[in-house]
Amino acid sequence: MSGRWNIAARIRKSEKTAYLFVLPYVVYFLAFVAYPLIFSLVLMFHRWNIVTPMEWIGLKNFIRMFDDPLVLRSFLNTLIFLAIHIPLQIVVALSFAMLLNSRVHFRSFFRAVYFTPVVVSGVVVTILWQQMYSFDNGVFNAILGSVGIDKIPWLVDPAIAMPSIAVMATWKNVGIYIVLFLVGLQHIPAELYEAAEIDGGSKYNAFRHVTIPMLNPTIIGVIVLSTIGGFSLFIEPYVLTGGGPMQSTLSAMLYIYNQAFYFGHMGYAATLGIMFALVILAVVVVQRKVIEAES
Amino acid sequence: MELNASVILAMLSLAVLSGCGGNNAGSTSQKAKAELVYWPAPNPQEIELADSVVAQWNRLHPDIHVQMQPIPVSQSTEEVLLAAIAGKTTPDVCSNIWPGALHEYTQSGGLIPLDTFPDFGQVALGRIPPELLETFKSDDGHYYQFPWKTNPVMMYYNLRMLHEAGIDSVPRTYAEYFAAGKKISRDTTGDGQVDVWMGERDVRPIWWQRLFDFYPFYIAASGGGTLFSNGEVAFDNDAGVSVLSFFRECYAKEYFPRTFFQGGDPFDLERKASHVSGPWNVAHLQKFVPNLKYTVVPIPVPDGHTGQVYTSGDFKNIAIFSNTAHPKEAWEFVKFLVTARHDLLMLEISNQIPVRGDLETNALFAGYFDRQPLMRTFARQAPYTRSMDAVPDLKEIFDAISQEYEASAVFGRKTPAEAIHAAASRAHAIAEWNR
Amino acid sequence: MTKLLKYCALVAGLVIFGYPFVWMMIGSLKPEMEISNLKLWSSLLSFTSYRTVFTKVPIARAFANSLFVSLSVTTLVVVLGSMVGYALAKMRFFGKELLYLLILFTMMIPFQITLIPQYVLMVKLGWTDTYLSLIVPSMMSGLSIILFRQFFMNVPQALIDAARIDGCTDVQILFKLIWPLSRPVIITVAILTFMASWNDVLWPLIVVRDRSLMTMPQLVTIFVIGGEAETQLGSLLAVSTLLALPVILAYAFFQRYFIESMATSGIKG
Repeated sequence: MSGRWNIAARIRKSEKTAYLFVLPYVVYFLAFVAYPLIFSLVLMFHRWNIVTPMEWIGLKNFIRMFDDPLVLRSFLNTLIFLAIHIPLQIVVALSFAMLLNSRVHFRSFFRAVYFTPVVVSGVVVTILWQQMYSFDNGVFNAILGSVGIDKIPWLVDPAIAMPSIAVMATWKNVGIYIVLFLVGLQHIPAELYEAAEIDGGSKYNAFRHVTIPMLNPTIIGVIVLSTIGGFSLFIEPYVLTGGGPMQSTLSAMLYIYNQAFYFGHMGYAATLGIMFALVILAVVVVQRKVIEAES
Repeated sequence: MELNASVILAMLSLAVLSGCGGNNAGSTSQKAKAELVYWPAPNPQEIELADSVVAQWNRLHPDIHVQMQPIPVSQSTEEVLLAAIAGKTTPDVCSNIWPGALHEYTQSGGLIPLDTFPDFGQVALGRIPPELLETFKSDDGHYYQFPWKTNPVMMYYNLRMLHEAGIDSVPRTYAEYFAAGKKISRDTTGDGQVDVWMGERDVRPIWWQRLFDFYPFYIAASGGGTLFSNGEVAFDNDAGVSVLSFFRECYAKEYFPRTFFQGGDPFDLERKASHVSGPWNVAHLQKFVPNLKYTVVPIPVPDGHTGQVYTSGDFKNIAIFSNTAHPKEAWEFVKFLVTARHDLLMLEISNQIPVRGDLETNALFAGYFDRQPLMRTFARQAPYTRSMDAVPDLKEIFDAISQEYEASAVFGRKTPAEAIHAAASRAHAIAEWNR
Repeated sequence: MTKLLKYCALVAGLVIFGYPFVWMMIGSLKPEMEISNLKLWSSLLSFTSYRTVFTKVPIARAFANSLFVSLSVTTLVVVLGSMVGYALAKMRFFGKELLYLLILFTMMIPFQITLIPQYVLMVKLGWTDTYLSLIVPSMMSGLSIILFRQFFMNVPQALIDAARIDGCTDVQILFKLIWPLSRPVIITVAILTFMASWNDVLWPLIVVRDRSLMTMPQLVTIFVIGGEAETQLGSLLAVSTLLALPVILAYAFFQRYFIESMATSGIKG
């Protein structure tokens, strides 16, 4: 009898301890998640520059958002970025992963070097590439010049600037995906390849019908993560181009930042933030549904 | 006994006297000194000027003490003032009021309408040409700022470069400027690239850079009209289009370089023949390149333009904050600040132009202008100088204009008409959002 | 033959991903004129650019700031995260399922929504330009909680029950018993958190304006954009090297852990 009471008491005490254990998170959640979410919903309907009192403006922020050519512009810029970044990422990562997956020595060493841009700060990467992309004395134009090709205005031509940033972003992140693809490749059972060979297929067929389907989850993972990354693109355009030339590198996050901290439109920036967040969620949900459909 | 009586008498008289002293102290505290806090701009010349003026005032007015506090340099004055208005920690008087921010200051009732002082009209009109004074009136018909000083933006020309290219008269119209440009912009080193230009402008679309190209040229082309009129966007017109066409031509014909200039000021280095700037550049040139031969004339205007040439200028005005405990005393101090004697001091210490109409006629200033003849040119331009409109979000409006300027003039991707229209639409949307 | 081609491709990869860093470090030592050429060596190597950087910006202070902030955040995330993870994995309490779902939910919220209101909160609390604003908003992480929970769920319940019978409190169980068993997950969470905190630029740019409080990447960004580098390539490369070097050194020693940690989160994410 008393034994059961003891355990019961211990369990109740354990519950109390559990509440203590999760208390930090609950407080944190209320302060840094719940409050900001609710406040941003309020902020959407106001005009505010932090210094003077908030001003109710109803739906004006939404009206402005629909009329604002830069909102569409930043969205399109992000799409251009993703259109180059994602395929490049997949092709390069998969290629190197397949190379590393075959019988080669020093695999860890190669992998480690390829992963280096991932750990280094985005600021360092941006500074380096700013030099490499320099029109007059950058590495790329120097190489082009030495083979007699005209210099390319990497960051100065509105049509080329965003693709240039996309290439740089690929260089920075591809290390993660090389590792991910490597893991994915190593998990493909050898029997599948043997079966394909028996069926009388070429290496290419094996690739198409075994490798790709088995790597589908990883590929989808790359797409989802890169999409989220594309909508969060900030420090690269901020340092390299300031959003130009001709607003061609104005990313969604950079526009929100400018509206909030350069022009002082907190309410409008909050509205933009929510809208872009909804877009991201929509894209991620659609992509997840595609995974489910395929598997 | 007698001693006791005299002691008591002494003590009584002491009591009475100290009571009187107390009364005196009481009456002095009723006539207590008024304390005013004055914020000048945080640059060394204006602080020197403020020191001098405040010292004189305190000598002449022992009952109204003015204390000068410079604004912290790390933040923009506008931010500091807005925060002060919100936190009710404003000074009494500030002389670094930028007209472009006036709307934000008055929106929350932060400033006193100066025209409520009975002698405002007399003091203001006695100093400032009426046409110019009008441009500083707020939408509600009141004057919340007292125009104090300005830096009109004009065109500097390198005389040697003009002469060597065979150009005898300094360009005043677009056609003349282009003709000069054709002769001056050329490749002097034989490497196939132009290295000497007619002019140069920063190609990055930074909003305040337009204050040295689009804005002054627009005000000149429109005969004194600014971007807004009666609160409505007003620059979607021929003047705007002709200004953008002008700059587009300059970039297309390589009169301006398209690269970001590095390695020193090209006008100092005589790599460009013309330079848009204000009176501060006179001292700069005197100090760094005293042998450079140059002249200063008004901004070029479209061909066929008649009449006075206007320009833009960076105005700084004086305002009294509504938090003040002593509005009347503050107004007396403001009047003191804008007397002719102190305007002369301003000219001498900081080389900035006071906003007054009698700079050329008043004998007080003659000595200064004889010593600095080029400043006379700026002084003559001052009455025909326009400020920025007191509308909210000027930064973003100028940013929109900068984007269109970049697209049309620098890159040639949009026609000037399209660009002006796009800029005006955006300015309108921004204004609407702020209503 | 294919082998040769493979190795060529792999070495090409080395050049592509590694050479820019080598160029950066050597370039920071070269005299200004020679930086732009591709040569990897110069006869006139010196530390001039570094001297310029140290006199122009408080880079050492920024390094200390970054170290302090990142270590604090990492410690908090690991300790507090493991506590919540343990509670979710091994304890019973009302609302456990709800809390778990809540955490998953917060991980899905893109930061674009919360950025501005969190900044406003910092202003209202008066935390801007203090270490608090750099540390507290990052002190808990949904991902770390999930990782801890996942790992702890695999700890045999028998062990815990035995400890309970011995009279251990939950605190003792977590820190004295489970932690020593959890090296992999602790290292993973620590590395992920430290890297994210060290490399974060956007948030410091927003909440800190005082130079003496800036983190290292933030100071470098300001240095680059603010024009103080005055287009002196040597200074730019020197400051980049200073920013990259600590991470590259840590990475060189612990690269296995780095790669596994960040790849793990990639799969989970």
